[in-house]
Amino acid sequence: MKRRINIWLVCGLMGVVVVVAMCVCASIGVVAFDWGSLTESPIFWNLRLPRVILSVVVGAALSVCGAVYQSVFRNPLTDPYVLGISSGASLGAAIAILMGWEAWLWGVGGMALCTALLTILLIFKVASIGNRMHTTTLLLTGVCLTFLITAVISLIMALRQDKMESIIFWTMGSFASASWLEIWILLPVVALGLGVVLYYSKDLNLLLAGSEVAQSLGVEVEKVRRRLLFFTTLMVAFCVSTCGVIGFVGLVVPHGVRMVCGSDNRRIVPVSVFAGGLLMLICDTLARTLIPPNELPVGSITSLIGAPMFIYLLYKSKRTL
Amino acid sequence: MIDIRHLGYSYGHKKILEDINLKVPSGSLCAIMGPNGCGKTTLLRCIANLLKPERGEVWVDGKNVQDYPTRLLAQKIAFVQQHPQTDFEFSAFETVLMGRNPYQRHLQNESQEDWDIVERCMKQTNTWHLRMALPSQMSGGELQRVMIARALAQETPLLLLDEPTSNLDIAHQFDIMRLLRKINEDEGKTILIVVHDLNLALHYCPHSVLLHEHKLFFDGTTEDALTPERIKRVFGVEAEVANGYLLVNG
Repeated sequence: MKRRINIWLVCGLMGVVVVVAMCVCASIGVVAFDWGSLTESPIFWNLRLPRVILSVVVGAALSVCGAVYQSVFRNPLTDPYVLGISSGASLGAAIAILMGWEAWLWGVGGMALCTALLTILLIFKVASIGNRMHTTTLLLTGVCLTFLITAVISLIMALRQDKMESIIFWTMGSFASASWLEIWILLPVVALGLGVVLYYSKDLNLLLAGSEVAQSLGVEVEKVRRRLLFFTTLMVAFCVSTCGVIGFVGLVVPHGVRMVCGSDNRRIVPVSVFAGGLLMLICDTLARTLIPPNELPVGSITSLIGAPMFIYLLYKSKRTL
Repeated sequence: MIDIRHLGYSYGHKKILEDINLKVPSGSLCAIMGPNGCGKTTLLRCIANLLKPERGEVWVDGKNVQDYPTRLLAQKIAFVQQHPQTDFEFSAFETVLMGRNPYQRHLQNESQEDWDIVERCMKQTNTWHLRMALPSQMSGGELQRVMIARALAQETPLLLLDEPTSNLDIAHQFDIMRLLRKINEDEGKTILIVVHDLNLALHYCPHSVLLHEHKLFFDGTTEDALTPERIKRVFGVEAEVANGYLLVNG
């Protein structure tokens, strides 16, 4: 019981850290504020604050999705980006923009969800051998799908050059267009998804021990796996539809958390929420402040951290490949 | 009690089990024997509902195993795999604690009772000193004992083990069989073991099932099962019993 109290204490403390970091990050930028005039500034209320909140929500969601994929696929090298699920979602978003469905509240997100689910189904079909996922096939499928989808998106862009700019935005990843509306669309989806993942976090541990073991220990493997994959893909799709494809967060954060607090997903999931939010917040703040007044794509910052980590993990686990 | 009726299973066109009819009474310690590929593991998996039989049914305690909710079945049957997976980073204690899962709700943490049961099962299998060790730090025999501890922590009346002694040296083979017999005698658990070593079966398991060419060949006491004639038929080798030991002549 002692361990459990600690985890909530840790989460509480991390929550405080995230809130403080949000305040600090919201106050720095091209336009400087003094704390007294903060409450009157529309830049703070309508640009900075939604952007800061959105980055935390997206960071938290992508990290938890990474943790779930790693357990469900029993593979430390998976995350929404590496598997091509983010790209799959961006294809849906691009199609929705092309069809002019941005006007509908859930239009872009819904379409992103459809293509992301198709992507994950395809991955399952190609990479599963019986009950097991073959590591090499899994990663190669993800890579190939990413190539394929990038090609399709390039085609769409070439055909509809008037929509090019908004589609490029989706493939690069950015929080620049953050608004309160986007937060209200994303927040319930992420809250629901996180709730489902937390609910099944103990089952995730058992899935990690193998699906046959999980079933003989009372987990309804197929049902749990399907639900987890659906709700995480839902989160990924809506994150991608608000801020585009941001890579490697789902890979870096769960691994970092695992190094500190062990393999138990009941600890990894809640801690990843805060750690992922914090990391994304810092990355986005760097993206918009490093070369003022221009902005870097936040995806490139996360990739700068994530890609070397991926190579390190690949190196470490090459025995099993 | 296990009641298997007309059980049949095949992988694609390859028949694995054909019309198996078998009753295993409660409290028996039963060895399942037969040559490689005769369907021993498949039989065990069908009983544990890890495979759905193509034909026939498996009944446990008066109910078809397929009709049990997964959690309830996990309170009835514990299954120990032949090759435990070792590519995850849970300590031995955490691994055994997973055995308590069938009794916990979602979001519910382990109670003091669960911790006590885990401690008892680990001491019983002589793995308590390994509680902080990761799978990669344990030997084959230690890992096998941890897996048996997890199955014991499930507190099921029925225990299925798929070749628990394979890959172990002779001393550890005896250790594990002795442990299983003790559990069977002390707690009255029904235990089914797939065994390759006929002598282990002869010494530790009173009850035996022989599979031959995907069919049930014999069901009865181990002494009756392991006669030279039956061993010749099933395994195709000459054997004799001397001083209570089976001697096989290649």
